[in-house]
Amino acid sequence: MNYRFEGKKWSRLWISISVLIILLVISYVVNMPYFTFSLIFALILVILALSWDFSSGVTGYVNFGLPFFVGVGAFSSGYLYYTYKLPVPFLLFISFLLGITSGFLFSIPTLRVRGPFFTLLSLLLPLLGTDFILAFWTVLGLPTIGYYNLPTLSGSLDYVLLIVTAITAVISFVLYWITQTHFGLVLRGIGDDEDAIISNGLNTFPYKLVTFSLAMGIVSLGGAIYALFTSYAGVDTFGFTFLMYPMLIAILGGRGSIAGSLPAGIIIVLLSQYLSLYIGSLTLIIFSILAILLLLFFPKGLMRSIQ
Amino acid sequence: MTILVVEGLSKSWGGNKAIDGMTFSLEKDAMALIGPNGAGKTTLLSSIAGITLPDQGRIIFDGIDITKTKIWKRVGLGLVKTFQVVRPFVSLTVRENLELFSRVHGGSDIDSVLEVMGLSQFGNKKARELSHGNLKRLEVAKALMTNPKLLLLDEPIGGLSNNEAVGVIDALSSLKKKGTKMIIVEHRLSEIFPFVDSVVVMDKGKKIFQGTTTELFDDEKVREAYMGGETNVDS
Repeated sequence: MNYRFEGKKWSRLWISISVLIILLVISYVVNMPYFTFSLIFALILVILALSWDFSSGVTGYVNFGLPFFVGVGAFSSGYLYYTYKLPVPFLLFISFLLGITSGFLFSIPTLRVRGPFFTLLSLLLPLLGTDFILAFWTVLGLPTIGYYNLPTLSGSLDYVLLIVTAITAVISFVLYWITQTHFGLVLRGIGDDEDAIISNGLNTFPYKLVTFSLAMGIVSLGGAIYALFTSYAGVDTFGFTFLMYPMLIAILGGRGSIAGSLPAGIIIVLLSQYLSLYIGSLTLIIFSILAILLLLFFPKGLMRSIQ
Repeated sequence: MTILVVEGLSKSWGGNKAIDGMTFSLEKDAMALIGPNGAGKTTLLSSIAGITLPDQGRIIFDGIDITKTKIWKRVGLGLVKTFQVVRPFVSLTVRENLELFSRVHGGSDIDSVLEVMGLSQFGNKKARELSHGNLKRLEVAKALMTNPKLLLLDEPIGGLSNNEAVGVIDALSSLKKKGTKMIIVEHRLSEIFPFVDSVVVMDKGKKIFQGTTTELFDDEKVREAYMGGETNVDS
């Protein structure tokens, strides 16, 4: 197994990170706030897509619960800022830890079932969790509508882009590295035939538990970044957008490939923002249909199917 | 010490008894488990491996009662089963297929296993690119990676050409020489009989014979139930 950061396997990741750097340079050169804004939004969705691809794409456990963990990250940063006035790095770190914890609690019951049952539970439990959080917030007299005027990652949009790019690159690198280790090999094996792994002596549950907990931690980090980018953490952060786009990006980039999410995310977000200028909210419907078609006809991802 | 003892094992599927009070022990190195289709051989093997939980009875492996032990824990004790229909990890290379299990039960050396199973030249090929014969070898190789004391082989040469079958049997012979014990379910009796030390014959979920291959052909029950009253196997 290639543990070094070179060779054919690693070249995919280096290409993706190079694309990221080129876009960063272009953004600084053209100096258009709208382009920079779109790029930041794309990278936030890429972070979510990377997590989804690392957990669901590699193992085949299709998780529809992503928006809940985005909400956990966004809401917790809002709450922690308003209550304790914590600085931004702490907000990001604590959101990440809360995401891991809630991902762990979510995974214990859901990962005991497979296939459509897992997918159904992954949808139901977060819905329950969202309602619980909102009810809990109401009881405590906290603002359920959301938190406004949160601190931003930086006063300058260019710096925000730099920070989000760096975080995206680190996450891509770490997740990709994990997939190249023995741990990643087991995850890929689970994606192929989990029963065959178990019958040859590997208990897959701890592997899945660690994977989904880490992935949901990253999703919550993405949610916190989104909240601190828009200065707002509302109920809509628990919404459908944060499921459909990451899934679409991961599938288009090649399910389980990790590296493909970077270019795919940028293409999809820039395309969707361009389309929304002409067809408005119909864009979401079109992309949803595209996601369903891709799942139906290219379940292993568009890039892999083309290869 | 007897490595495996099965006592009064029963398993029903929807009212039909697939195994009915099976009792036997593995006394020597390699045992053939034979019987007509539907005799309950695969169910018995799956019950021993932990894939299927029996309704009644006990399974003692290496002195430990493993009747209710989880499948992956049984492998950790040194008991592993191969599948009748091969189940390779198709997106992985042959080497990666083996590397997956390199940390189970102390693990085995990948290169040695590849060599024993005659797969050295295919190490970097994707499993999906292998022929059926080589996939059968890979199935055994995966099991060997867990450093087993007892190997349960479900039709290891089923569906193979004569040449391919000889290759697999040779590999199993060299494993046997190294001290790995095995139970083999197989229909191609003439190819495995020279290799095994004892035979258990099942019919309708029950054991109807246990002994050597020579004794087998003199047994009236076996000839009636399994071979239609005629001996048609080159022993």
